Amino acid sequence: MDLEHTFTVPVAVDAAWAEFQDIGSIAECFPGAQVTSVEDDSFSGSVKVKLGPISLVYNGSGTFTEKDDANHRFVVDAKGKDRRGNGTAGATVTLTMTGTGESTDVNVHTDLAITGKPAQFGRGVMQDVSDKLLGQFVGCLEQRFNQGGGGGAAAVEAPAPVEPTVESTSSHEVPSPPVAESTAAPADETPASVAPAPPPPAATPRPATPPTASGSGDALDLGKTVLPVLAKSYWKQAVVVLIVIIVVIWLIAR
Amino acid sequence: MIPAQFDYVAPSTLEEALAALGEHGDDAKIIAGGQSLLPVLRMRLNAPELVIDLGRIDSLRGVRDDGDALVIGAMTTHSDVVTDSLVREHALLLSKAAAEVADNQIRHRGTFGGSVAHADPAGDMGSAALAMDAEFVIAGAGGTRTVPATDFFVDLFETAIGEDEILTEIRVPKKTGWGAHYEKFVRVAHQWPIVAVAATVNGSGGTISEARVALTNMGSTPLRASATESALAGASATEDGVRAAADAAAEGTSPPSDLNGSAEYRWHLATVLTRRAVLKAADGA
Repeated sequence: MDLEHTFTVPVAVDAAWAEFQDIGSIAECFPGAQVTSVEDDSFSGSVKVKLGPISLVYNGSGTFTEKDDANHRFVVDAKGKDRRGNGTAGATVTLTMTGTGESTDVNVHTDLAITGKPAQFGRGVMQDVSDKLLGQFVGCLEQRFNQGGGGGAAAVEAPAPVEPTVESTSSHEVPSPPVAESTAAPADETPASVAPAPPPPAATPRPATPPTASGSGDALDLGKTVLPVLAKSYWKQAVVVLIVIIVVIWLIAR
Repeated sequence: MIPAQFDYVAPSTLEEALAALGEHGDDAKIIAGGQSLLPVLRMRLNAPELVIDLGRIDSLRGVRDDGDALVIGAMTTHSDVVTDSLVREHALLLSKAAAEVADNQIRHRGTFGGSVAHADPAGDMGSAALAMDAEFVIAGAGGTRTVPATDFFVDLFETAIGEDEILTEIRVPKKTGWGAHYEKFVRVAHQWPIVAVAATVNGSGGTISEARVALTNMGSTPLRASATESALAGASATEDGVRAAADAAAEGTSPPSDLNGSAEYRWHLATVLTRRAVLKAADGA
């Protein structure tokens, strides 16, 4: 299945691209993630996902298969395997940056292949999980930021189960973070809503569906809370966490 | 699917269960009725090394009268909660809500404690317990503690129960003589509610004196409709008398949007279902 996410950062494209070259300290901040090694264009590590009755540990690795400095585009291939449950996932993530003068539009395209079965839950938990994970991630980044430190190694972990037959698309809009101010999110701060498409017909009783901008209070809150924090300094980590979140969400939703 | 391999123990005392949990920690999982955990295991969304079954601990089962409160063992099945005469007399709302949990087979296996400990935001028993101002008795290695319903439900699938603790009892203050109704809206019979409303009402002569209203699946935890509750005090138990109060039911909620409906749809549902629930509850008061 394909997932499409776009957002804007308030720096020129060259600066944005340059900053992204030192992709450090990302997975360290993602809940449950551990990076075991980084070398050149590859990394490996694990992600532990724990939510209520769910508890999964995924081991995986990823490689930058393509890095195009001229066109500000890179491709990451990642795959992972559940340590105990035998679920697997593969993802090809293509990130493209487009300069628009003072700011840069970032597009993240994820082609995800997951094996597994949909969970039997009261409702599609994707939205809630993404909110929660992103919230924790940002909290961690904030803490580091306040301590004046960064650091850590980077990794995009891509594990998760998917049914090969699933074909769906969804979009994720994370609009430009405010340059300076923090919590006062202006009206044009539309929500950051992770919105993977619902599973196939025979799937969960109540899968989540892509919410519209006006449709979800959760999403609005998420946008207000998260975006200011992700401003300037941390937008590149956000790129990577987006990728991780997409993967995690799908792995949970299956 | 077949679950990943795990060891299984079924201790006959709470102490043994706590000891096993303390020893294995994160690698152990408690099973009550298994109506939520087994699907998770079978889908391999969790693979504990040890499953601790509480089914043989008799002290966790049954309902007893404790003065101004009822004490319901965590392992009491939904079916027993539905039919228990003490519950029907002093905590009718719990009986009504339990009667709406899934289907009859699940109600005979699934337990009150298991359901609230699982804390699915669409679970029926959470909002009923919240509306009844229930308290949750949680046992750990260092003894027991009691947590009010408002602090018990922390987040989606998350409660105040610690990793090394077990929910043993639910204490429910008696609301003897109160009318009650659980209004559940589903697309398919026996399904999780899109929205549901638990209401219990005291009053006489067609006037509501006190009301407790809680909402299911209008957020990541069960929620009290406080504005509605205060507006209902002194209201007449008629369609018009209840309408304004019910319209405030969804105030301050952030319901999910999914295939079954948008957040706006749920806001609307909450007000309509609250009106129905309160009216039916008042009917029996």
